[in-house]
Amino acid sequence: MKIRPTAVTVAILILAVAVQTTLFARFRPFDAAPALVMLVVLAFARHLPSEYALLMGFGAGLFQDLLAETPLGLWALVLTAVAFVVVRFRDRLEDEVGYLGPFVLGITIGGLTLFAVLGTIFGEKTLADAGIIRKIALPAVYNVLLAPLVLRAVPMALGMSRYRDSAFRL
Amino acid sequence: MWRPSSVDRPTGIFIGLVVICLVLITLDLRAQGEGLGSTLRDGAQALFSPIQEAFVIVGRPVADLLESASDLFSLRDENRRLREEIASLEAEIQATESVRIRVRELEALLGVDAPEEIDTIAARVLAIGVSEFDHLRVIDKGSNEGVGLDMPVIEEGGLVGRVVAVTGNVARVMLITDPTMVIAVRVERTGETGVLRGRGSGPMGFEMFDTDAAVIAGDVLVSADGRFPAGIKVAVVRESARSDVGRLLTTADPAAGITRIDFVKILLWTRDDAVVEGFEGGDRLPTAVPLDPAGPAEGETEVAPTTSTTTSTTLPGSTTLPGIEP
Repeated sequence: MKIRPTAVTVAILILAVAVQTTLFARFRPFDAAPALVMLVVLAFARHLPSEYALLMGFGAGLFQDLLAETPLGLWALVLTAVAFVVVRFRDRLEDEVGYLGPFVLGITIGGLTLFAVLGTIFGEKTLADAGIIRKIALPAVYNVLLAPLVLRAVPMALGMSRYRDSAFRL
Repeated sequence: MWRPSSVDRPTGIFIGLVVICLVLITLDLRAQGEGLGSTLRDGAQALFSPIQEAFVIVGRPVADLLESASDLFSLRDENRRLREEIASLEAEIQATESVRIRVRELEALLGVDAPEEIDTIAARVLAIGVSEFDHLRVIDKGSNEGVGLDMPVIEEGGLVGRVVAVTGNVARVMLITDPTMVIAVRVERTGETGVLRGRGSGPMGFEMFDTDAAVIAGDVLVSADGRFPAGIKVAVVRESARSDVGRLLTTADPAAGITRIDFVKILLWTRDDAVVEGFEGGDRLPTAVPLDPAGPAEGETEVAPTTSTTTSTTLPGSTTLPGIEP
């Protein structure tokens, strides 16, 4: 893998975590924020080679774990799984770009649900959260709203010239 | 029949990474918040906090704009509510003052030493947790300013949480609403004790055992635990309830505005781990309260402030508490 895409990936992931923890600390419509890091992982996994996409998901998750109080490796597992699903479905998404919005919704809900289930298994009591449905549904909706921006920005940052007309199409 | 060669390369890498994650989780859970995981977390937080600080500064105009837009419609209501609250608090201050004078007179009569003040450090909230499931706040004060593990964190409303990780310049605070948080509390009106449990978002769960008491909506719950100084306002009962077969279960709203905290105070107060034989894993003594006005209870540590930025404070909700002087 070339140095530039690697540097761009790391820089954008750090940027996403910084925005997630600072800007979205204050701007929280309906007391929820997007799962921005998950969306960025999804966006990169669409374009990076499979192996690198998985490693990027793992690295991003590990970074989240280091900034959270959850067991080290929990977010890494979730974001690796997200990257894996994206890698498996990305060719199909290229053919049917209309599925991209529902795909972002589904993958965010799936990722956050996986985190909640695994968190409970490993003693974090995440499923005991009274607002669990809202904490999964709202970030997923916000991710769909942010998807056109992020999914366009990532390939541009990677220096790819595959931009097309549809909001979700790259 | 399954053969290793039937697994393609991405799937093989995925399985390998999942195994690594499970090993990491196991090792981290076994370390119980210490070891390499803790060191890595502290290092990552120390490295990342300057970036967060920069983002707070750069992003402030944007955040202010967005926040103002979302607050526009609620400002008038909030203004009226705050005026009412000021009027109510002024009346409360006057009532408190007379009680305080009476306490001093009684202390003088009984020959009791004046209670110790608890020093505090003001801190700004830099960041929140990385996901909706992280009930954390990162504050801009760390061990360099005297902040230590397990110190209680308050704001003007009441208890916010406790410090769970500290580096030189920043600390992480776990909110009282975290589902793993359990706080022993006392109903201020009746003196009955119970347990308050975080439930993530929304109201907290309040439970009392072996009681025939009742609570009414609006009852104030104050801390009664060795982990926190006694008397800190923690929550307000949301729904009235009566005990059923000796058990009372209801909900309570956190007294502090947990979702919108900009500034907090760290109480420079710690309590040594007091391990009771028969209790596993270093459980703390479930005793209540350093209520002895003559000085700190056994096992309690007085922390000397290390910087000149400390101030003394009256704990939110405590008006007649020994151990803390207004």
